[in-house]
Amino acid sequence: MNARNSALTPTRRAILKAGAGMLAAPAVLGAGGALAQARKEVVVVNYGGAAMKAFDEAYVQPFAAQGGRMVLDGSGPLNGKILTMVQSRNVTWDICDCGVTTLAELGPRNALEKIDYSIVDKSKVATEFAYENGVVNYMFSSVLAWDTAKVKETPTLADFFDLKKYPGRRMVRKDSQAMLELCLIADGVPFDKLYPLNVKRAFAKLETIKKDVLYWNSGAESQSLMRDGECVMGLLWHTRANVLKGETNNRIAYTFKDGLLQPGLWVVPKNNPAGAEAFRAIASMQQPEGQVKLLTAMGNGPSNPAAQPMVPEALRATNPADPANAAVQAKINAAWYIENHSKTFQAYLDFISS
Amino acid sequence: MTTPADRLAPSPSRAAFSATARYWLLILPALALMVVCYLYPISKVLWLSVTEPQPGFDNYAMLATSASIQRMLMTTARISVISTLITLVLAYIVSYALVHASEQVRRWMFLGVLVPLWISVLVRAFAWFVLLRREGLVNNILISSGLVDAPLSLIWNETGVLIGMIHYMLPFGILPIYANMRDIDQRCIAAARGLGATRAVAFRTVFLPLSMPGVVGAGILVFIFSLGFFVTPAILGGGKTLMIAEYIKVQILEIVRWGVGSMLAGTLLIIIGALLVVLARVVDLRKLFGAV
Repeated sequence: MNARNSALTPTRRAILKAGAGMLAAPAVLGAGGALAQARKEVVVVNYGGAAMKAFDEAYVQPFAAQGGRMVLDGSGPLNGKILTMVQSRNVTWDICDCGVTTLAELGPRNALEKIDYSIVDKSKVATEFAYENGVVNYMFSSVLAWDTAKVKETPTLADFFDLKKYPGRRMVRKDSQAMLELCLIADGVPFDKLYPLNVKRAFAKLETIKKDVLYWNSGAESQSLMRDGECVMGLLWHTRANVLKGETNNRIAYTFKDGLLQPGLWVVPKNNPAGAEAFRAIASMQQPEGQVKLLTAMGNGPSNPAAQPMVPEALRATNPADPANAAVQAKINAAWYIENHSKTFQAYLDFISS
Repeated sequence: MTTPADRLAPSPSRAAFSATARYWLLILPALALMVVCYLYPISKVLWLSVTEPQPGFDNYAMLATSASIQRMLMTTARISVISTLITLVLAYIVSYALVHASEQVRRWMFLGVLVPLWISVLVRAFAWFVLLRREGLVNNILISSGLVDAPLSLIWNETGVLIGMIHYMLPFGILPIYANMRDIDQRCIAAARGLGATRAVAFRTVFLPLSMPGVVGAGILVFIFSLGFFVTPAILGGGKTLMIAEYIKVQILEIVRWGVGSMLAGTLLIIIGALLVVLARVVDLRKLFGAV
């Protein structure tokens, strides 16, 4: 994936240099006329790693086949970085791989472009995940995983909080998103009554096992804690649980039941360099074929409902958006996060560090 | 026609120019670079702390009102103080051994002190994870040798954070203390022994006081380092040890409360500045940073 990465960078540099050359030497403008007509380059930012190769095959190449130009940047589009770019009027990113917390923090600060639904096809996504400032790119879940060497039967989410039935350390994400929902579901709150979240009740539930909980920061950390037997059960992303299941020969198992289905979102920073071309790139990434490729490579669930029947039989069990899996999960409510994310996340950090 | 005053005036100013201003001119490029690349951006960040979200000192008032910030500051202070004290004790012992070792042994010891400096803090944190975890090397040895029955909780708590931080900071403790000890005239101890002092008394009344400037300097350096730790507490603390660096990162990158984040950065800067002023009064800074 690094080879891919370094193969891309010089290309981009070369393009930038070519552009600078054109500006500096008006004499070659005639020759550059053909280039000027070429479509603008769209910079897509994700969190790097395995996603670079997978995104390239699923999205960059199909877009190139349609005459577009997409470049990947794996530097991680954190909220603060996007806002810095927008406020300093030096935006170099066009499309960012984000989540509902970005809607919550950057939407009200007017740092995101509205999704142009005349270009992006709303009928190719579940309407509940097509927001004003962001549109679903793939689906993922927060799920319960367990170590079958120590937990013999299939546990329920309620068992995660039952230290008598299954003694041993638990693992939870160091982020309130999805963790509060799973606490409440375990405490018996039905899916349709989940929002508005009862944060106090969720904290009280987590308090019951707090002394035996470890908190993971990065996805890689969540894998290593389960793989090395540091925790007997954990709440983590289904993509990581799936990798663990494979690399431990099914010693680590997981279930979508009582998980939380969440959308990964494309957002476009305000005044992005490629302008509307970004939305054409997003529209191109709605094609089901690429989304199935992404599922095959990384486990990211297709966001286009038309992709679900195209998923190979063997992969359906790992697809969070598969109708059978989606039916047993709760769905995140972005509206609640837009109102409450900042203070809830801070309260969660205070709670776990006290 | 020139008055005497006219003729007199330029000469003292030319003298002043040649005496100091010329040297100022020499460091002007470096100074300009500092102002443009360091002071200007930092002042912009600090400016945020009194303008975001609205002008005023509301962000700084949170130091007195926010239980969350106070708890985090207490955690940071507690861990920094404990790790500094333990680092100093260990660094003192190593430095003492270094000073009294033969040239060849000293070279090997220095290699042992310096090599960890060049290993990334992230790699070291993961190495500690491998050693200290429940089924890790340390616990396996302790259990198989019968010293303990159940695995010790060496990681995912403040113990783990302290082990990782102290390991990281030992070279920063050892080098200043060693530099100071090396300069102590060994004849003073010999003289004390000659006058009838036991080894312990000679150490306590002669060597220890003479080595104190190095200890104080190392202590302040190590304390300043430990205030800014980020990776080690985040990994070895099991997510439960929230120190100021991580707290600021959350404010800046995740929930974008830039006012609070920059206020804490400003507070940290003021504390470190004050500590450096104290340090400069106790020891010769040039010697501390340049002697090794």
